[in-house]
Amino acid sequence: MYLQRLNPSIKACTVVLLIILLAFIFDPVTPMLMIFFTMFITLAFGKVRWKTYFLFFIPFSIFAFGMLWTTLIFQKPPTNAADTITVLWWSYPRESLLTALALSTRVLAVGSLSLLFIFTTNTIDFILSLIQQCKVPPKIAYGVLAGYRFLPMMRDEMKLVHAAHRIRGVNEAHSFWGKWKQYSRFAIPLLASAIRKAERTAMAMESKGFTGDRQRTYYKSFSVVLQDIGFLLLMVAAFAIAAYLSFLLGYFKWGAS
Amino acid sequence: MHANWRFKEIVVMAALSVVFGVVYLAFLPVGKFLVGLFGPIGYDIIFGVWFLVSIIAAYIIRKPGAAFLSETIAAMVEVLIGSTAGPMLIIAGMVQGIGAEAVFASMRWKNYATWVLLLAGMGSAVTSFTYGYFMSGYAALATGYVVAMFVLRLISGAVIAGVGGKAIADGLAKTGVLASFALGKEQKRKDAA
Repeated sequence: MYLQRLNPSIKACTVVLLIILLAFIFDPVTPMLMIFFTMFITLAFGKVRWKTYFLFFIPFSIFAFGMLWTTLIFQKPPTNAADTITVLWWSYPRESLLTALALSTRVLAVGSLSLLFIFTTNTIDFILSLIQQCKVPPKIAYGVLAGYRFLPMMRDEMKLVHAAHRIRGVNEAHSFWGKWKQYSRFAIPLLASAIRKAERTAMAMESKGFTGDRQRTYYKSFSVVLQDIGFLLLMVAAFAIAAYLSFLLGYFKWGAS
Repeated sequence: MHANWRFKEIVVMAALSVVFGVVYLAFLPVGKFLVGLFGPIGYDIIFGVWFLVSIIAAYIIRKPGAAFLSETIAAMVEVLIGSTAGPMLIIAGMVQGIGAEAVFASMRWKNYATWVLLLAGMGSAVTSFTYGYFMSGYAALATGYVVAMFVLRLISGAVIAGVGGKAIADGLAKTGVLASFALGKEQKRKDAA
């Protein structure tokens, strides 16, 4: 069984549901266990390269670290300040440290769940599945797909604007401010060409008979099968077990106090 | 919501959202850097950037749903390009879009004066902050710090998204590409008068 075969909408729902559940948890053990489980699932069933996976994990770690130290400093005063833990010559109130750890491990848990989705889902499949399972109007979804096709063109367009500016005597910027100004000069021409292209594409699609009607056929159709529901239940069960283990260890905390 | 939309408007809105999806992604590391320096408040300084597309799209197209849909699509594009925030980002985008949309709705989608755009930027700030308060556990932070975050985000939403968004859209209207959209038509009427 590969994660790539799961229904994209169900996969997205599962990830969103778990992230919402995690938002209620204010102890570090539950999210920590979820991180390990999600990482295991992604690496074992996701055909994901270890190296790329951990590379993508770096920004989350930086963010989690920022969360850790600011929560330690800017937290509400703990109710039991005498109960302290010493880490690296500094002593913190036990309660503050646990909350700070809880918030930063939550960032990492959300990160691992998001990576599970990102690494195993095809973009076009996700949008098609949104039309078919989540009843997103085809008019909007195909509009988005058309807009999405402009993305690779953006870089070429940028080069074009750049060249056009240079030929008219705008010099290459070297300082940080100069670069910033240069990029803001690009903004209007880039947006203008994107709008022109979009208008033309829309006309082309309509002239070829696109109506945005719901009664249409699909090149690729998606359905929800037993293994999709199985995945949803498995992830929720993993969360419940993580919370229970945390409860057994005496850390479990539901909601901020 | 989209029933009286022309298909052209949907694709143009999607194109705008794609552009801003890229811009949003480019600003994420800036935000993360600021968070590393100042803590969670770092994001609030530049949070208005993430509301830009709803203001611009609503101001240009002037139809019910423009603010909400464009922000949602921009978030979707971020996910599609591979933002590490994952599908949860789509929800965050929807929440931001609802804030601006609510302000435009209270004007019955008829008034797009500068002060309304400012209010719409602040509307996104209010909804996104409420969402962040719940999802990122701001409840655990000291009240003074949370209030400071909220005020900064309101200002950022009004200035960056409200004023900045209007400036970008007006600049675009000047080029003439918006001739067949509500903003371009309004400009033409003003020039004729």
